[in-house]
Amino acid sequence: MRSFLGKRAIASAISLAGLIVLVFFLSRLTGDPTDLYLPLNATQEARDNFRAIHGLDQPLIVQFLHYLADLARLDFGESIRRAEPAIDAVLRGFEWTLWLALITMSIVTVAAIIVGSLAAFRVGGVFDRIATFCSLIGASAPDFWVAIVAIVLFSVTLGWVPTSGTGTVWHWILPIGVLFIRPFGLIVQVVRGSMISTLSSAYIKTARAKGVRNRPIIFVHGLRNAMLPVITVIGDQAAGLLNGAVIVETIFGFPGVGKLMIDSILQRDFPVILASIFVTAVAIFIMNILIDILYAVLDPRIRY
Amino acid sequence: MLPIPGRLAAAVLVTSMATGAMAEEVTVVLSEELDIVDPCEASRSNVGRVVLQNIAETVTELVPGSGLQPRLAESWEDVGNGTWRFKLRSGVTFSDGSALDAGDVAHSIARMKSEAISCEIGNKFFGGMELTTNVVDDTTLDITADPATPILPLLMSTVTVTRDSEPMDSYVDTPVGTGPYTFDEYARGQYIKLSARDDYWGDAPTVTGATYVFRSDSAVRAAMVAAGEADVAPNIALQDATDDSMDYSYPNSETVYMRLDHDTAPLNDVRVRQALNYAVDREAFVGTILANGTLLATGMTPPSTIGYNHDLEPYPYDVEKAKALLAEAAADGVPVDTEIVLIGRINNFANVQETMEALLAMWQDAGFNMKLQMFEVAEWLEHYSKPYAEGRPPEIVEAQHDNANGDPVFSMFFKYACEGAQAGQCDPKLDAMIADASAATGDERAAKWSDTFAYIHEDLVADVMLFHMVGFSRVNSRLDFTPTIRTNSELQLSQIEFK
Repeated sequence: MRSFLGKRAIASAISLAGLIVLVFFLSRLTGDPTDLYLPLNATQEARDNFRAIHGLDQPLIVQFLHYLADLARLDFGESIRRAEPAIDAVLRGFEWTLWLALITMSIVTVAAIIVGSLAAFRVGGVFDRIATFCSLIGASAPDFWVAIVAIVLFSVTLGWVPTSGTGTVWHWILPIGVLFIRPFGLIVQVVRGSMISTLSSAYIKTARAKGVRNRPIIFVHGLRNAMLPVITVIGDQAAGLLNGAVIVETIFGFPGVGKLMIDSILQRDFPVILASIFVTAVAIFIMNILIDILYAVLDPRIRY
Repeated sequence: MLPIPGRLAAAVLVTSMATGAMAEEVTVVLSEELDIVDPCEASRSNVGRVVLQNIAETVTELVPGSGLQPRLAESWEDVGNGTWRFKLRSGVTFSDGSALDAGDVAHSIARMKSEAISCEIGNKFFGGMELTTNVVDDTTLDITADPATPILPLLMSTVTVTRDSEPMDSYVDTPVGTGPYTFDEYARGQYIKLSARDDYWGDAPTVTGATYVFRSDSAVRAAMVAAGEADVAPNIALQDATDDSMDYSYPNSETVYMRLDHDTAPLNDVRVRQALNYAVDREAFVGTILANGTLLATGMTPPSTIGYNHDLEPYPYDVEKAKALLAEAAADGVPVDTEIVLIGRINNFANVQETMEALLAMWQDAGFNMKLQMFEVAEWLEHYSKPYAEGRPPEIVEAQHDNANGDPVFSMFFKYACEGAQAGQCDPKLDAMIADASAATGDERAAKWSDTFAYIHEDLVADVMLFHMVGFSRVNSRLDFTPTIRTNSELQLSQIEFK
């Protein structure tokens, strides 16, 4: 296991290095940010001065070498847009996104496993039909539309929860509710399919023949063996959230890293782009390693 | 600071206590988070709505309908040779208790021109101008502009005054000013809080505190006011302004026009430019894809600007005349069949895409060979601002220009002079007219600007002027507050009353 983790860490570091180089040059391809930051009628002198302040007057390769030297000290530089270090803005946003993803995926995972397992137990039954129908709608519902409808219904019309923001726990209900729908729909489908396959296995039939009750058959013997593909999908969905739930963050005014990343791309705020991609990439690499470990825990046949 | 779960738990306890309290406080929902809160960036609209005249005050103040008024300066006079003498109020203090003096104003002027921070006010209003200051005494300051400008007092309505201890090489993140409010807290990404000062030099405002939050989606901003979570949404989209009891339209000082490239054929022919103007049914846009109240434009600045020529008429919609002008130009060898690129800016204003497509259809109906390209702001700027690309095709660039400062000088040089960064033509006579009007004062100044507007619109046919736009604000019915043209760039809390 230790050897495996070491290899994964090295592979991740190589991928990360490649990503950093790629993003540095791709972001520069979008052009010079000077005109975005200065008024239209700024003088050429002011433009030259702006470029000098932010090192944009240097040849690209020199900018890259400076960037690598700073990165070695985990210094991503000052945000062009914000009067603060880029990493501060990114870590602040990432904390919000991390909690949003953690809470949402925890609820999604528990709910989807229960619903998917019960649906698989009586294939074609009423519960299965309802669960399948609802999960398909959930998996295909556009976040933007669901969010606006939720605000109009639950905030403006019924007044149950705040429209947006972050001040109280009530502010988290709509964002989590909207984020819940799509991964829930997807994971219910995967759990159901995997459980149908598992519940038709010989060892389950043997357990039934020996008189084991339904609950342990589903949630102990069946679920553990059906979880491997489910974990893959959960990891994929969680990675999507860690990258930032951009639409939900935008609509609900949630100060996460996704919106920060999109804003920084549109504003050509290179230090923030690079810092946010670095932080989210590291988080996703760590999560993937945790998933690999979880595979081994759930299935003793898997050994690294 | 507590981690997020801890802050949430604490917030649960606080929420019930806070609900329904603080009736004299307001919540303002802005369209974007403030990345910088330094007063020298207050000409940016969302920064201005928090900072301008609330935290940091200006030397003079342009009041819609009243003209230029005293603010921190009680009076000013032209003492010759490009120098103006400003007499400051006495007894004014900053929110930290220190007294305002002429040295603070001199420092603020130097700071906004500091190369180390590139403040927007310095770049936007004082580019290419040298300012020197001479502190005569604590309340008297001489300011000399080179080149001399007769509108220096008007320009001083853009200069936000901060303490002389503020750094010349970095932005401040907790602004301190002489305004009626103090900047209490900025929780990045979440909110900004202001509270009223007890020791403000002017009248005590009714609003005792304000919280600013940030939502980029217009529908959400409108919903927040409807749900009672916010009191003012200064900027909402046309499609969200659906409630007459809460929604106000106001002239937002923006003018939409099509900049024509006079350097390339066929746009270098005045008949082609006239044809472009006659081919547009401007009235058809108003009340359909643009808001009711949108005005047809004949000049680059809002009608409230001094010298705006109210006698000019928009070009009438006459597609047959447009076709005739094109045919006449073609007969003289003008390559009117050349493909013209129509360039629009994505998200420049509500329904910009629909507006551009409608214009394209109108011009194609008149016989123009044209295609539409929509760009994000950075790419759009490469077409709108000099240096223009060599060997470019004939281009028509859509733009929206903001001038809420009451004088055409803020617009005309940049949009029309040969050296102007966004000029589509170079005309020596127009250069002379702009220089002449810029140097004039009083009624003569207004008359010269009026003549300049006429020359641009009727003789030069420099561009296709389209609309003076309106903006929409949603205001909670508990407030007695009516948005004005200034709401596009500031929101003075002291002007808000409760019903």
